Amino acid sequence: MRKFFLPYLSSPITVVGGLLSLGWLLIALLAPVLAPYDPIKTLMPLAKPGALNPAGGTFWLGTDMLGRDILSRLIYGARTVVVFATLATLTAYLVGVVLGLIAGYRGGRLDAVLSYFANVVLSFPVLVLYIVIIVVIGSSPFNIILAVTFGSAPAIFRIVRGITIDVASRDYVAAAITQGESAWRIMLFDILPNASGPLAVDFCLRLGYTAITIGTLGFLGLGLPPPTPDWGTMVNEGRGMAIAFPHLVIFPCLAISSLMLGLSLLADGLREVSDAQGRRA
Amino acid sequence: MTTQERQPILKVENLSVTLPKGSDRPFAVNNVSFNLSPGEILCVVGESGSGKSVLSSALMGAVPEGLKVAGGHVLLEGKDLTRLSEKAFRAIRGRDIAMIFQEPMASLNPAMTVAAQIEEVFLLHSDFDARERAKRARDLVVAMRLPNPDRILKSFPHQLSGGQCQRVVIAMALAMSPRVLIADEPTTALDVTTQAQVLKLIGELRDVHGHGIVFITHDFGVVADIADRVAVMKHGEIVEIGEAKQVLTAPQHPYTQALIAAVPSLDPHDRPTAPEAEPVLAVRGLHHSYGALAVLKDIDLSLAPGRVVSIVGESGCGKSTLAKAMIRLIDARGGRVEVAGTDLRVLPAKKLEKYRRTIQMIFQDPFGSLNPRRRVGPMIARAARLAGASSAEARRRTEELLDLVGLHKSAYWRKPSAFSGGQRQRIGIARALAMQPDVLIADESVSALDVSVQAQVLALLRDLQERLQLAIVFITHDLRVAAQISDEIVVMQKGEIVERGTAAKVLQQPSHPYTRTLLEAAPGRSTF
Amino acid sequence: MTLILFIVRKLGGAAAAMLTVSFLVYMALEVNVEDVAVKVLGQFSTDAQRAAWLTANGYDDPFLIRYGRWLWSFVSGNWGESTYYRAPVIDLVPDRLAASGLLAGGALLVMVPVGLFAGLLAGMRPGSLIDRAVSLLSIVTTSIPDFASAVFLSAVFVFWLNWLPGASTMLSGFSFSEMVLPVLVLAFYSTGYLARVTRASMVEVMGTHYVRTARLKGASPARIVWRHALRNALITPVTVIMLQLPWLLSGVIVVEVFYAYKGFGTLLYDAALNSDIRLVEACAMVSVLVVVATQILSDIAYGWLNPRVSLLEAAMGSK
Repeated sequence: MRKFFLPYLSSPITVVGGLLSLGWLLIALLAPVLAPYDPIKTLMPLAKPGALNPAGGTFWLGTDMLGRDILSRLIYGARTVVVFATLATLTAYLVGVVLGLIAGYRGGRLDAVLSYFANVVLSFPVLVLYIVIIVVIGSSPFNIILAVTFGSAPAIFRIVRGITIDVASRDYVAAAITQGESAWRIMLFDILPNASGPLAVDFCLRLGYTAITIGTLGFLGLGLPPPTPDWGTMVNEGRGMAIAFPHLVIFPCLAISSLMLGLSLLADGLREVSDAQGRRA
Repeated sequence: MTTQERQPILKVENLSVTLPKGSDRPFAVNNVSFNLSPGEILCVVGESGSGKSVLSSALMGAVPEGLKVAGGHVLLEGKDLTRLSEKAFRAIRGRDIAMIFQEPMASLNPAMTVAAQIEEVFLLHSDFDARERAKRARDLVVAMRLPNPDRILKSFPHQLSGGQCQRVVIAMALAMSPRVLIADEPTTALDVTTQAQVLKLIGELRDVHGHGIVFITHDFGVVADIADRVAVMKHGEIVEIGEAKQVLTAPQHPYTQALIAAVPSLDPHDRPTAPEAEPVLAVRGLHHSYGALAVLKDIDLSLAPGRVVSIVGESGCGKSTLAKAMIRLIDARGGRVEVAGTDLRVLPAKKLEKYRRTIQMIFQDPFGSLNPRRRVGPMIARAARLAGASSAEARRRTEELLDLVGLHKSAYWRKPSAFSGGQRQRIGIARALAMQPDVLIADESVSALDVSVQAQVLALLRDLQERLQLAIVFITHDLRVAAQISDEIVVMQKGEIVERGTAAKVLQQPSHPYTRTLLEAAPGRSTF
Repeated sequence: MTLILFIVRKLGGAAAAMLTVSFLVYMALEVNVEDVAVKVLGQFSTDAQRAAWLTANGYDDPFLIRYGRWLWSFVSGNWGESTYYRAPVIDLVPDRLAASGLLAGGALLVMVPVGLFAGLLAGMRPGSLIDRAVSLLSIVTTSIPDFASAVFLSAVFVFWLNWLPGASTMLSGFSFSEMVLPVLVLAFYSTGYLARVTRASMVEVMGTHYVRTARLKGASPARIVWRHALRNALITPVTVIMLQLPWLLSGVIVVEVFYAYKGFGTLLYDAALNSDIRLVEACAMVSVLVVVATQILSDIAYGWLNPRVSLLEAAMGSK
């Protein structure tokens, strides 16, 4: 175990990234314990950060125009982001990895058809795609996961397909073929483990970008329906009064930026270690 | 020769280069001294990791990142290069001392024409005007005997062959007629006939133009053909240096003796006579093409149990395609590949998986042929399982095989990264044997190994072959290796078999002109 | 000749992609006829009104025939009426597209020089202080979502320093100061991304054999960078710049909504919010057209920079 983690701990940037990501994960898990107030309860409208609650306690980050405590909404918002971003990224990965492996390893007509559709989907600017999908099927938690899966799976498919084609040209795959190993075992035991380095890097980044996408949809008012605490929606609700009350929008923006920064730094560290291992092998 | 000429132009005194902290030894180059005279080729020979390439970059004042020249002097006509500033060295590089590299194609800028790259040397080191530069660049290309010089000058590197690229690199190095040339494995990446031509060219540079040449190589055959003097390097030190004839025929240092003893001879090795038997491999009329390009034309081949046939040829002759078609890593267009009586070429995919056992392969690249994520024991055991063994049996067979190929029991739970190239090749052999195949294909299986390791792996293969009465198809570009292991040799050129016969006949009384060319081009023929 | 063949082949591919996209878009938005009627006539129309409208507009025909008719009128320039703006769609799009083009052009003007320069500088000496600074900065800028950088930059320049206006409605004609923030926000992410890509490419090129050859010829560091490394190191970033354009188009939506800028992004956004399906269809098709066009341009740039790739080969799809 120690040996596994050691290379990652040697880079301070990776450690910072890991701590930031882990921090948000903990906040999401412990939201009910950490949040000082109920995130959807009206307490006192438009309190400035640090204002005292007449009923006792402090609004450390102030309240929004409906009088809800922003800190509590941020903490519960972490939950929303972690749950939905993870679910959406995982389903996208499931689809992308399975199809990418098959297309990359089998090649031929199946590959041509899948690649063509991936390219068509990828030729939509991401946000245009999401907007069209949300307009058609409406915005609900399930539909957002569906939209993100549809939007990111082709990109994952392309990456996995590329790596698969590369790994499949190695002699150890040829060796497995000449031993009469079945195709699915080769994909699962010979190709996938050797693709795990770049895929782990991509997963971190994509998790972050999914969080940003959900945030952006929230910002555009196309996200999760109210009153779910969601960072993007908080910015959307607050931006009309942002000039007078910047705390309405600054804190949720800091939250999502720091989460993404954590994941980017983590991805960077993972990439360095996986490159170094690649060079040694 | 006059005494004036015998004055060394390059004197290296106690040169040391340190490796970064945490390396397996403190010095890449340790206390190396030698002299080089004009009109002399000094060959620096050594195996991988001997420090010979670092030495060459140190002479050019350009050691790789992380390494440092820690002591000693490099005197070029009396001037100490180790004390020059980077800027002063720049004026000397390419003008007084120039270098030729191992990867000719990669050494040329892909986005510049040949003319621009050669003319650049004049631009850097002379005040010739554009016309003069162009004229001289053309003269150099002509002097390198490149065909159609005007086309070559306008070409980009990717439009040329490897041999042509190497001539362009040499032209670049010679542009300012430097006193000293450093050649770092300049022919290693080339085919044997191209190698012979480039070696001839380098020999002329010495004889006609009197350049002093430091020639770095791992190949004793090349040394025998070209060297005036030889320095043998091991672990960063020169263990022996002397006149070529002296070092090659009466080596003093035990390491040199071992290296020279490991050079495979061109004389066919004695082979036990195998009993007459039905062929276990029968290839009939096998042919294949990529688009309109026929890469295999009507190949016939048969092999009896306990016999070894070598398929010899240069890169692009189709020998690797033949190997892949026989083992059905590619689907050939037509013909038959019968292994133990079953035509593998036409078997449907599902059925083929069951018959795969009968024909197995040992691959070329020891670093690419083992899955880095799997442990050695389970990897071999899996092969045994696929061949039908129970898991206990597979485990037992794996342990036996590890012992058979000369690896310790502890190898079982290690990953491939823990092993050297030679050891990995042994693991690859064990994995192939775990399936108890009827036919074994060895595709350039010893080409990537150092000469001493190569000799050991070859000896192992020969031993296993005799003990287990294996039928082996041995694919190689190296006639010397073929001579060491084959009963029969098949010579391929442009997808066709041009000559076949017993090893002795092909090597000693070749009938086809191409076989003769190959034999003549084999480096060091007069010595080894 | 090769160039023509290349372009013809690429255009063929683009047309095929557009056709697939148009089918998907049309199917997504108009396969459910009832929905279409509700969206066009509004929530409060009666069943009889909807049925009459559907019949009048040929919605009783099979789907494929409707699609063919729609496609034909789309190609011939009849993009339908916008229900929200109450104007022909074709009259709305060009002005808005030009306005967004202005934003994207401004962003490119910032992103290309800054991103390339920072990336090349960092990649010349991997591990140096400059390299580490550029790498960290580019990670930070690529980690901040567009709407967040809009909030941050506005907080600084509008709220705190009071230098720039917080909205870019351009109600009283074109205003340069109203352009600054949207352009900066748009360039923020892409500049960091471009710097990263350029750095990686430069590091790789500086480690190649041919750069070593140049050094051993006696070329100076400046000459090595300018003459040998630059052109080869630019191949990837130039492709990336081209492929950033669609990305900018996504950013454009967020930025325009944030600053209430009347461009293509807000047009699509308003169309989406108001279920203006004719407008959504047109906007989706136009954005895909932009993407496909930039892909062709990036392929041409790639072939032009890289003599190893002949355009003919690229045209045959063996890239």
